[in-house]
Amino acid sequence: MVLLQPDPFLNELTSMFERSTETGSVWVTLKRSSLKSKVQRNKLKTAQQPIEYRCLIRATNGKKTISTSVGAKDHQRFQASYATILKAHMTALKKRERKDRKKAAEDKKESGSKKPKRA
Amino acid sequence: MVYITSWDEFVERTVQLFRADPESTRYCMKYRHCDGKLVLKVTDNKECLKFKTDQAQDAKKMEKLNNIFFTLMARGPDVDMSEITGKEQMEAQPAKKGRGRKQ
Repeated sequence: MVLLQPDPFLNELTSMFERSTETGSVWVTLKRSSLKSKVQRNKLKTAQQPIEYRCLIRATNGKKTISTSVGAKDHQRFQASYATILKAHMTALKKRERKDRKKAAEDKKESGSKKPKRA
Repeated sequence: MVYITSWDEFVERTVQLFRADPESTRYCMKYRHCDGKLVLKVTDNKECLKFKTDQAQDAKKMEKLNNIFFTLMARGPDVDMSEITGKEQMEAQPAKKGRGRKQ
């Protein structure tokens, strides 16, 4: 487990997605964590000091695991870049199919305007 | 484990699960490119909620859920949800335009 800074993490995540296109999966886990051991947490608790929590992000492709953490101040920037990476790599998902009851509406939409989508 | 089929139900129940036990709840996403499948899982080690999809439109919904969980986890479970949704709406509008042009 390698704990990286957010930006190198995102770079690694990108290459993980790129390497798993033919075979394999990518897992990303989000967890609220203080990044401290139980002993350290108990020490803080008995000292009645506040425990600082961050959002821990872990990613794995089954062979290699990387991780990073974001706090309250920097999570928004991170989640925007993360969303961009996901959008760029989740290209194998189907685009509006298999929904038979929407098919009629779909055909209309294709010939007509392209704007009306979900709210 | 049974998959939840309704997205709205999944969102509601996962957020509830996290609020009930913020310290042991994790949110996991699995993406398999070769099969074009996406599985979302939220568990607190007692209860496990899963959602499976192969639809691109669900990936867009997932982006919103990601934002909810990033905010909840980084800022704490007491954060005002209306604040998050408010921000999202602001972000959603320019994004919508982008989608329109692409398609």
